[in-house]
Amino acid sequence: MSNEIIAELRKDYIYNLMIKGEREDGRAFDQYRDLVIETNVINKAEGSARVKLGDTHVVVGVKIQPGTPFPDTPDQGVIITNLELIPLASPVFEAGPPREDAIELARVVDRGIRESQSIDLSKLCITPGEKVWMVFIDVHVLDDGGNIMDAASFGAVAALLTAKLPAKRYDLGEDSPVPMRNVPVSITAVDIGGSIMLDPSLDEQSIAGTKLTVTSNQEGDVSAMQKSGVQPLTTEQINYIVDIAIEKAKEIREKFLVI
Amino acid sequence: MDKKLVIPGEFLSDDPSLADEGTYVEDNKVFSTVFGIASFKNHVRVVPLSGKYIPKPGDLIIGVIKEVTYSNWIVDIRSPYDGLLHISEFPRRIENDEMSKYLKIGDSIMTLVSDVDANMKVELTLNDQRLRPIKEGRVIEVTPSKVPRFIGRSGSMIAMLKNETKCNIFIGQNGRIWITGRDNEMELAIKSLLKIERETHISGLTDRITNFLKEQKGEKVQVKKPEKKQKTMAEDKTEPVEESIEETEEKKESEGILDELLGNEK
Amino acid sequence: MSKPEKLIESGIRLDGRRPDELRPIKIEVGVLNRADGSCYFEFGGNKVIAAVYGPREVHPRHQQKSNSAVVRYRYNMASFSVEDRKRPGPDRRSIEVSKVSREALEPVIFQEYFPRSAIDIFVEVLQADAGTRTAGINAASIALADAGIPMKSLISACAVGKIDDTLVLDLNKDEDNYGQADMPVAMTPDGRITLIQMDGNLKRDEFKEALEMAKTGCMAIHEMQKAALMEKYSAQIEGENNE
Repeated sequence: MSNEIIAELRKDYIYNLMIKGEREDGRAFDQYRDLVIETNVINKAEGSARVKLGDTHVVVGVKIQPGTPFPDTPDQGVIITNLELIPLASPVFEAGPPREDAIELARVVDRGIRESQSIDLSKLCITPGEKVWMVFIDVHVLDDGGNIMDAASFGAVAALLTAKLPAKRYDLGEDSPVPMRNVPVSITAVDIGGSIMLDPSLDEQSIAGTKLTVTSNQEGDVSAMQKSGVQPLTTEQINYIVDIAIEKAKEIREKFLVI
Repeated sequence: MDKKLVIPGEFLSDDPSLADEGTYVEDNKVFSTVFGIASFKNHVRVVPLSGKYIPKPGDLIIGVIKEVTYSNWIVDIRSPYDGLLHISEFPRRIENDEMSKYLKIGDSIMTLVSDVDANMKVELTLNDQRLRPIKEGRVIEVTPSKVPRFIGRSGSMIAMLKNETKCNIFIGQNGRIWITGRDNEMELAIKSLLKIERETHISGLTDRITNFLKEQKGEKVQVKKPEKKQKTMAEDKTEPVEESIEETEEKKESEGILDELLGNEK
Repeated sequence: MSKPEKLIESGIRLDGRRPDELRPIKIEVGVLNRADGSCYFEFGGNKVIAAVYGPREVHPRHQQKSNSAVVRYRYNMASFSVEDRKRPGPDRRSIEVSKVSREALEPVIFQEYFPRSAIDIFVEVLQADAGTRTAGINAASIALADAGIPMKSLISACAVGKIDDTLVLDLNKDEDNYGQADMPVAMTPDGRITLIQMDGNLKRDEFKEALEMAKTGCMAIHEMQKAALMEKYSAQIEGENNE
């Protein structure tokens, strides 16, 4: 993602810390940075959340409007996820339509929500074949401090959990909460010199050979996974990451993301 | 009144002949161009609280190699302008195809700005006894305009830091600081440097940092000022007179603050 | 919401304000880590965030100017910032707003100090309630100062409008939709105007009065901008003293 040059000296420093079992900010390898999630922060959106994960800062808005269903799923609502790496958030983000990084992030966030069946899409049907609720999830990244993936995912879920179907505005009855029935939590890990660390900071992310995101649902089932980066991972590493990700997801879900 | 916090466009003086860095003259009056601390001793100048490093010939700085071309290393010097290190400015005679062998992308160097032309083409050199590639230790980054503060009046701050931490410390004009020493000593030096960065505007900084270091090392510390403050807070309602004395003292302190922030005055 | 019968009655507007009253303003300076300067600005129901990067290398290279910095301004509205979701990406309105906003700030920036570099200003609207471009310019001004960019002065902006034949300062969404005129203005603290746009209908003397009203509004905003910058600094001092 980044084309900034990181000094070798700095890479050596982080690597040496890793060998001693340490991280630059003093965290344990499986520890997350300070996480703050605020909901209902944008009054024009039907649901919204603002997430601060360490130095990473994202705002998610959920807009819900009636629209036409896809022809092959006439009685199901539609979820559309978009993510903007706006140039405001980092010296290396450029203005313009989303490029591969932003697209990958959006699609993985989307997959986590969709595959965990967290929203009952059939409950988003208004008139089968004609009108359904379209749920637009828009992630606006304001500050890149590393691990945008998890921040975006937490934000999207938090916004959905507090979002309302604006039935009144369209004369379709009373407003009601978005029918969420599961809470997917994404956990991202990186591999630095063979060691696995969760919730990478910006530099850890840049130095890491590869990144793996695992999204799990309430039952502890894996609903989405994405490896990002060129270095290969062994089966042992992947299984290990899946195990700790499911545990960590439980922790975060209990603390921050309750239905 | 010696020093003042000002915003861009703030009026500073009626005498255009006093205008110095960080100011502009219009209608025969001097105004600030930046958000920073204005000083009125002799000349009128404003030191910005933030801002990029703009290279000047003679600056000793720390750079990071970002590209290797046929006959130049292109160096990130933490500025809108890259530095160019020509192969002939390397202390040894080397071949063009050997350049990466000696300095590759990501390597850090202590270097000297030899020339800056009107187009902001910045030429660097390594041809000097003081200069070398940086192969060990750590480099941290601070705001370039605060560099005088890190050096201190007549080098007092940096001398104290070196003495208390037993580390070797080199402060580049571009706000990059190189520290070498034992792991825990470097850690201590870096903590102090970051503390200075946060507290440049507070008075008695050199003493505070000295005390901080001693505390961290488990040595005895001078405790005078904090006591006074506690007393005032505890006796808040019963001794209003004490409070106002405290206030005047703090005011004097804050003027002294700005003095030190500006480091060595011309 | 359909057009209200009256937008102003007995000198009181629908949201309780008097004609010359600004909406509440909240300012936070230096809210972003990666940007060189930043500012979060709330102006009534508007929530905008401005970030400044620069001076920095120009990409693409061909936009470089040999004797001065190039100033670029990108105003963008988040999809969720408005009632009906907006498709992401610049539309014609955003492009126009970006241009006039840049022209509002350029005159005070000492561009010639930084040849062959770029000063990039980004304004994101997170929540919109009429007046986003003026909120953006106010925020961008502060972000530029926060980044240490040398300027002749800050720029302050606000809009004046006409509702029910009465001139009012700082229109909200309904007043903008159902009013008779909308005129955003940006200026330096000594009253030189760097942005002025108008749509609607204003008689000659109404216009004069409107401009004076705008000046008063901008002066008031300038004081708040200055206070926010000073506060960021003194908050640090207090924080450290309490340690």
